Amino acid sequence: MTTLVLVSHPHLADSTSQQFLKASLPADETIIWEHIEGQSTLDVAKEQDQLRHADRIILQFPLYWYAAPAGLKAWEDTVLTRTFVYGDHRYPLAGKELGIVVTTGMPGKAFQRGGAEQITLDAAMAPLAALADRAKMTWLPIFAIHQFDYLEESEKLQLVVDYQRYLTQKQPDSLSERQDWFTKRLPAMIQQLPPEQQATGRLIEAEFAQQKDDIDALVDTLSLIKEQEDD
Amino acid sequence: MTEQTQWLQTQIEKLAEEQGKFTDRAFWLALEALVGEQARRHDQLSGEVDGRTWRPDRW
Repeated sequence: MTTLVLVSHPHLADSTSQQFLKASLPADETIIWEHIEGQSTLDVAKEQDQLRHADRIILQFPLYWYAAPAGLKAWEDTVLTRTFVYGDHRYPLAGKELGIVVTTGMPGKAFQRGGAEQITLDAAMAPLAALADRAKMTWLPIFAIHQFDYLEESEKLQLVVDYQRYLTQKQPDSLSERQDWFTKRLPAMIQQLPPEQQATGRLIEAEFAQQKDDIDALVDTLSLIKEQEDD
Repeated sequence: MTEQTQWLQTQIEKLAEEQGKFTDRAFWLALEALVGEQARRHDQLSGEVDGRTWRPDRW
C-alpha cells in the first residue's frame, strides 16, 4: 500500500509534534512524505501524479481557527482542479482513502457542543469530507492529537504506533486488523533484535499467533452456535 | 486474565525495556497492549459461548 502524507505547517521546523510524527513514520511501507509549504512552487502535474499513485492520502496539519493552515487551502485550490477531481468524469481519486491527522492546542473534550470550542472536529473538517465525497474517496475517521506537549511518555509511545497504524493499517480499525498489522511486522522487528533477544522475540511471536488462533476458533464456535439457534 | 497472558505481557515488557530506539520500544509496548485486548476479547467470547450453550429451555 502506498500512503501519501501531505503536511501543511507554516513553521515545520519549530513544531515538536510534526517533528515527532516525522520521526515516527513507519520504515517498512511505501510512504511518500511532503511538506506543502516547503515547495517553492507547486508542480501541479507532479502533485496530481502522486495523488494518482497513492492508495491512502493523509492531510496532516495543526488546527488554525477551526480549519487547516492557509498553505493547505492554496494547495487544494492549485492542485485539485475541477477537471482533475471530477470534471471529465474519470474520477482518478475514486476508491482512495482520505485521512486527516490534526493537532490541536485544546483538549479533546473542548471539541463538542457545550465544550470550550463548541464545534466537533467532524464539523470543522466538513469541507474536506465534502471534497472526499465529491472525489468518490473513502473518508477515514479523523486522527486527532490533542495537546501534544502535555502527553506523558507512555502516551507518546502509544502515539507512535497509533499513528503508524493510521497510515498503513487496513480499515476499519478492528481487533482482527490490528492483529494482522502486528503479525506482518513481527518478523522484521525480531530480525533487527540483537541475537541474544531473538529467541524471546520468536517465542512472543508464536504465543501471540496462538492467542489469535484461539480467538478465531471461539468466533467459529460462536457462529456455529448462532446458526443452530436460527434453525 | 490467564497466567499465560501475564507471562507473555511480562516477556514483551522486558524486551521493550531493552530497546534503545524510541519507535522500537513503542512497537513492543503497543503489542503488549494488544495482547491485553486479545485476552479481554477471549474472555468475552468464552463467556458468550457459555451463555449461549447454557439453555435450560432445551434440556
